[in-house]
Amino acid sequence: MNHTMKLTICRVEGAMIRALGLIERRGFAVTSINATENEPAQQLELIIGLRSADRSVDVLARQIEKLFDVCSVSLLQHNESALELKESMAC
Amino acid sequence: MMTGAQLLIRALEQEGVETIFGYPGGAIMPVYDALVDSRLDHILVRHEQGAVMAADGYARTSGRVGVCMATSGPGATNLITGIANAFLDSVPLVAITGQVPTALMGTDAFQEVDIFGMTMPIVKHSFLVRRVEDIPRVVGEAFHIAAEGRPGPVLIDLPKDITNTSTSQPPLFEMKSNDLDGPDPDEVEAACRMIRAARQPVLYAGGGVGIGRAVDAFREYVRASGIPVVATLKGLGALPTRDPAFIGMLGMHGNQAANEVVQAADLLICVGARFDDRATGRLDGFAPRAKVVHLDADPAEISKLRHADAALLGDLRQSLAALPTDLSLDAWQAWCSERKQTREWRYDAPGKGIYVPHMLRQISEADPELVVSCDVGQHQMWVAQHCHFKRPEQHLTSAGLGAMGYGIPAAIGAQFADPAARVLTVSGDGSIMMNIQELATINRYQLPIKIVLVDNASLGLVRQWQQLFHGERYSEVDLSDNPDFVAVAKSFGIPGFRVEQRTEVAGAIDRLLNSEGPMLAHVCIDPMSNVWPLVPPGQTNDVMLEEQSA
Repeated sequence: MNHTMKLTICRVEGAMIRALGLIERRGFAVTSINATENEPAQQLELIIGLRSADRSVDVLARQIEKLFDVCSVSLLQHNESALELKESMAC
Repeated sequence: MMTGAQLLIRALEQEGVETIFGYPGGAIMPVYDALVDSRLDHILVRHEQGAVMAADGYARTSGRVGVCMATSGPGATNLITGIANAFLDSVPLVAITGQVPTALMGTDAFQEVDIFGMTMPIVKHSFLVRRVEDIPRVVGEAFHIAAEGRPGPVLIDLPKDITNTSTSQPPLFEMKSNDLDGPDPDEVEAACRMIRAARQPVLYAGGGVGIGRAVDAFREYVRASGIPVVATLKGLGALPTRDPAFIGMLGMHGNQAANEVVQAADLLICVGARFDDRATGRLDGFAPRAKVVHLDADPAEISKLRHADAALLGDLRQSLAALPTDLSLDAWQAWCSERKQTREWRYDAPGKGIYVPHMLRQISEADPELVVSCDVGQHQMWVAQHCHFKRPEQHLTSAGLGAMGYGIPAAIGAQFADPAARVLTVSGDGSIMMNIQELATINRYQLPIKIVLVDNASLGLVRQWQQLFHGERYSEVDLSDNPDFVAVAKSFGIPGFRVEQRTEVAGAIDRLLNSEGPMLAHVCIDPMSNVWPLVPPGQTNDVMLEEQSA
């Protein structure tokens, strides 16, 4: 099953590798990635293509949302509208 | 002006830290220098794994954040197993590591490893400090993150130039409180509907009950609702194990009655547990008729492995208080009690050799207040099955990681957390060798820890699996060349004695528990002793193998 996830992360040391590492460890393959810097906010916006045979992307989103460097997580539908999840405490 | 090391010590003091377990080395030396002028108690262990596991035992016993410290490179990598242990068992821990100076980072310098990168998958969060001014904020955040919500380990990596740098004193840093919110009212309503409609509900208690300080609320709900209780390995003591409503531990080495009531349940109310594979057996056959109400502090656990029909996120105490109590469960309670009685443990094993389950039951009855830490293997399962626990903090076990070597350092941490506690370690001849150097720590601080070393001259649980599931093809499990453990203990300054016959057990327990200082009882048992019952790997919890040999 293919999914697209939008992540906004703090631009701090280790934040990107922490998020990508979690995605792969939890059983998802990264099929594409696009990163855009939001310099005034000291954030990075990542659009990540994901694939997994049997894992729940909703559970993955909640696992990523727990990371303290992650500001927000959204799952993008095919029409590109975002299902916003609640903001995490960090950033 | 203060150095970074002095700032660190001051920040730790501000967090209320009293005890640090650690081991010095090159890159952490500025911090050890600052310690000399501090009121913090530093406990010198003999291996960094001992430090992190002692901090873990300290945290589990006290409910406070455990703190350990090590140098860069090998000091840091030696912490990794203990950090993983705290991560998998949700233990609040702050691990502080020295790092080579910033200018040398990334050059493969002496004792340089990327501990920040290495530990990412096994920490709740981690910090690599690049500016001395950040130290108070980082320490404040680290303690907050370690303890809030579902607790876990946090790493702070401190380059040596940062701890050596002087700075004007930055302002004190304070985090907001760790209070959790209550559950969603719609989910509460759905849960209440399911509970009122259930005829065969079961409360499935995990380590979260103790971690979430929800023991009183949980017990009150059990009493008010009359719902039978099963517990995971980490949930033992959430309800006293002697309570009539407690059916037993579920899972691979659980009590048969506990597995039977879960398999028969029409509603499972999971309180601070995570459907671990050792508890559920084959997941698609676990509690097959049951709906699930899941109470947890961690949103990522909801529907991770088993779909939750209602999810009550947040403070377990608030969630439990919202559940209905006016239930009529007489027939179900009677059936569960009958199952419990039918499957009661038996201690009439044939032969003259020492029967460890009975010995552990006798120890537990001789001193019901014992704090028991254990290592990993057959003895760990026997402790879980046969010792009584009145509260969760009495049982220190490496549940999620299953890390051999946990028992002795955890006992050391528990004893420092509660100097008045009577602390017992149950270990095995395989496990004890993994952190045997910490006997020196017990002796150094004259901790009155009692050790029961169950010696079957083999890696018992692996041997049991090779016997049952690998056609008796025994591979590298023979430990019959063990050292003389009594002599080893004596060489560390700890008296010990050997026990080999069943008739000696009562006297040995009396001698062990009534000794003044530390003491080791070396208990020799049949190498072919097995843990029963057992759900074979990959099977559902309906399939429990019974004892096949005495």
